[in-house]
Amino acid sequence: MTKDARRVVCYVNQFFGTLGGEEKAGVGPQIVDGAVGAARAVQQALGDAGTVVATVICGDNYAAEQPERAVAEMLALVTAQRPDLVIAGPAFLAGRYGVACGALCAAVQATLQIPAVTGMHAENPGVDLYRRQVYIVQTGGEAVRMLDDARRLVTLGLTLARGEAPGAPAADGYFARGVTHNVVVATNAAERATAMLLDKLAGRPFASEVPLPDFPNVPAPRLIKTLEGATIALVTDGGLVPKGNPDGIEPLNATRYGAYSIEGKAGLDAALYDNPHRGYDTSFVKQDPHRLVPVDVVRELEQRGAIGKLHETVYSTVGVATTLAHSARMGREIAEKLRAAGVDAVILTST
Amino acid sequence: MRLELRWSRVEALIAAATTRLVGTRLEIDLEALRALLAADARLTRIRLDLVHPGEQVRIGRVFDVIAPRAKLDGGGHLTVMDGQVQVRDFPGVLGAITKVGHGRTLALDGVAVVATDQQADPVAGSLAVIDMAGPNAALSAFGRTHNVVISAWPAPGTGRPEYLAAVRLAALKAAVHLARTARDAEPARVEVFELPPSPRVPAALAHLPRVAYVFQIHSHQRPTGVDEGVLYGDPVRRMLPTIIHPNEILDGAVLRGFMGRSVTTWATQNHPMIRALYAAHGHSLWFAGVVVTVAQATEPERVRSAFLVAGLVAHTLGADGVVLTKIGGGAPHVDMAQAAAQCEALGVKTTLVVEDMSTDGSAEGMLLFNFPGMDALVNVGSSQEPLVLPAMDRVVGADDLAAKLVGETRATYGTLCGAIEQVGATKVMAEVR
Repeated sequence: MTKDARRVVCYVNQFFGTLGGEEKAGVGPQIVDGAVGAARAVQQALGDAGTVVATVICGDNYAAEQPERAVAEMLALVTAQRPDLVIAGPAFLAGRYGVACGALCAAVQATLQIPAVTGMHAENPGVDLYRRQVYIVQTGGEAVRMLDDARRLVTLGLTLARGEAPGAPAADGYFARGVTHNVVVATNAAERATAMLLDKLAGRPFASEVPLPDFPNVPAPRLIKTLEGATIALVTDGGLVPKGNPDGIEPLNATRYGAYSIEGKAGLDAALYDNPHRGYDTSFVKQDPHRLVPVDVVRELEQRGAIGKLHETVYSTVGVATTLAHSARMGREIAEKLRAAGVDAVILTST
Repeated sequence: MRLELRWSRVEALIAAATTRLVGTRLEIDLEALRALLAADARLTRIRLDLVHPGEQVRIGRVFDVIAPRAKLDGGGHLTVMDGQVQVRDFPGVLGAITKVGHGRTLALDGVAVVATDQQADPVAGSLAVIDMAGPNAALSAFGRTHNVVISAWPAPGTGRPEYLAAVRLAALKAAVHLARTARDAEPARVEVFELPPSPRVPAALAHLPRVAYVFQIHSHQRPTGVDEGVLYGDPVRRMLPTIIHPNEILDGAVLRGFMGRSVTTWATQNHPMIRALYAAHGHSLWFAGVVVTVAQATEPERVRSAFLVAGLVAHTLGADGVVLTKIGGGAPHVDMAQAAAQCEALGVKTTLVVEDMSTDGSAEGMLLFNFPGMDALVNVGSSQEPLVLPAMDRVVGADDLAAKLVGETRATYGTLCGAIEQVGATKVMAEVR
């Protein structure tokens, strides 16, 4: 092993680890020194650039039936080897194997802070589950070109191990991870926009530089009671917080939300509230918080009997430059709390 | 209208006893320039630094960058005030309100005026930098220009909007002062921008697609101050979409507001979209005109603005296609898309120039809208992507932050002034990987 050579640990299933077929799929994680089975192709592809110091083998059923335990056990075996790089699979079209490869690579990256790569066929369910977190090299459906596939895995893995950025997905043969990376291109954006518009006008094909979003359409559920019997909650992403912002909700790119009691309040006293939101002119809301969170009017409706009850907790966050992941999580958490509290409907005010 | 930009090339910039252009060497009497800029009660101390491409210098606290320009004459379009013919630079902000976009304008190539902001809280504010050497110099137009850096400190009691107005005014004064040195010079090249009234298409060119440009010049996410002139000195508080000639934009009628994100006045003066459409005009398209608009703060205003934009584009300019750009953050992004949706609804094909809005580098977060037909999107890169600022020898324009800024610093593309320009001036693009 040369001075710069990397310590590599491979992960293969029972079949590619030469333990046996389906009858051995229940076998738990074990580790063998050096390269075993499919890992030998990885060693061949590595040449002098690295050494497969050990091969972790785990049965597919074991990995699929208790995924968290299997990953934790494999991670412990991997960690003991102090590797620079982990190469899992390739899993081709094998679904249980592919999902386990993705899960192990994600865990290795998160826990050991070292690169981990795997390979599979486009239709392997592991691709959709893990492509965002893990570099997954695109392979065929079967192990007919094992050495070629291993070479591409190794090339990408070594690039990452050197701390370098891989090329574009198409060039380096991995599934786009859906992450963006600034590059310098041949013409400025104004020239590209003009060319793209001319293509669009002429009916010629053109490639948008931003993938069109594919957000699922969420139908508004029907209220199954009458308003007179319903409990209504107020939720906002417009950034209303009590003075002092006790939850430290970020002025943009928020990851937190607050739950604020309005129990016994006929309205909101402007002197007691603030607004850290940095995405709009908040002066009108600071002047009168009801412009954002209409406690006054809804309380009136409650007293008049037009609605059953105003929920006594207002949920608030800052909706500007918030990531989709955090938005979805906060929405889910707030919805769960509202449902547990017996809330029937929500007035969501956005800005 | 016909505008001539008479370019003089500047290859060296030095302090001297007289301000003059000698060949391609711009000499500046710094004392005289300082005295000119100091005549403003809102400012106390003025400092001028000259920095050059290749120097191991980082300019900090960058507020805006202005291209040196000075009107030579107004062509046939002259405004008469008090019996006098008026030709004014940066009308409505520096000079009196007169129409620009016609006649001859002096322009210096290779030199820029950089205004710094000595008042902003370094923690809360996003303080931009310019690197004159290293890998980041190539990413920004201002890493390749000789820069006159103006640092001005507020007089006691000067509020934030008044201070920024004073700083910008100082930068505009300097830009005109420097460009006037080319008054007697033979220009290195003359760039002509001539566009006839939109309907007057020669029969031989009537087959070309008519293309308009919708230029969002301000975002009302932050209300403008009274001295925050954006369009001919107007703070555009109640502005509705309107049509102006592209030459007016190139000739100083539109300035950036004070809270520009990924946009400089320099890019507006050298507007890349207007240039790109001019370049294709008469060949592959007919440049039908420019609609200027603002990003509105509330939904009713956005809806009204969107259909007014679409009406001007489709019914007044008669465009077949339109390019739209935005200014600022999320609300302007959606505002632009709503205007584009109305254009598509009227049968006008759209292309939008967007900044990658993702804050976590995920492709699914790049856009803040999802309208049918909005399938042609160009991006100017991600300002959130991390960028390393390597160590430099010297920091200019940010004495108080020099200790931090001189060493290697972790920043973002958005921090590097001129790397990401929302009007599409640079070649930075966010690629999905």
